[in-house]
Amino acid sequence: MDILIISKYILIIALIIMMIVALRASAYKTTSMGLLGSSVVVVAFSVALLVFGEMYNLAFYRDISLALIFFGFVGTVAFSVVLGGDK
Amino acid sequence: MMIVEYIQSALLLIAAFLVIVSAVGFISLSKDMKNVVYGRIHIIGIFDIACVIAMIGLGQYLLAGIYFILAPFTAHAIANAFYKSEDVENNVELNVVEEDEDNSNPFIVNKSKVQELEQKDSEKLKTDDRFTISTLEIIEEE
Repeated sequence: MDILIISKYILIIALIIMMIVALRASAYKTTSMGLLGSSVVVVAFSVALLVFGEMYNLAFYRDISLALIFFGFVGTVAFSVVLGGDK
Repeated sequence: MMIVEYIQSALLLIAAFLVIVSAVGFISLSKDMKNVVYGRIHIIGIFDIACVIAMIGLGQYLLAGIYFILAPFTAHAIANAFYKSEDVENNVELNVVEEDEDNSNPFIVNKSKVQELEQKDSEKLKTDDRFTISTLEIIEEE
């Protein structure tokens, strides 16, 4: 088996672990932790999509990943502005 | 071509290692620690850089560059929102409690009003005859 394929699978496993940890962190007390956890899940999913798209020749995987990263950023910043208020 | 694959797989393995390290650090921080949210945001910085390394390893340089620029803004926005709305330990403005005024009940008096009355240079205290302020002058003999 090729070493590149093995390292891709290892990265996928690590990203899945990180997603589970981020979901756990989203359930913490403060709202900011939920925001942080959701942004981590989005980024981990987009990187996993990049790996899977290259392995299985998925269509538009780069565009979907770019949209996830960009709109995840926009959503996080927008929610942070609302949460922080105008103090 | 083999050497490019080796470099790619090394980058992906480094990224996987960093992701696992950040996941363990993220979940193992104690809840009772002071400023734990800022610590978690700092750990997520490692995860962001691991994702950038993974994107470079996968050959997506444009995505890596975009995310490298966007990630610090996200971290700052979350930290700023936490400080302004939920950080009771550090933000003094969040500890101020607003008191309700209830003029119908004479036995419930606002705390700030009582403190104002108790001050020495209060106008009400000067006009009230029940209170007198006496000063004692001490003349030191030579």
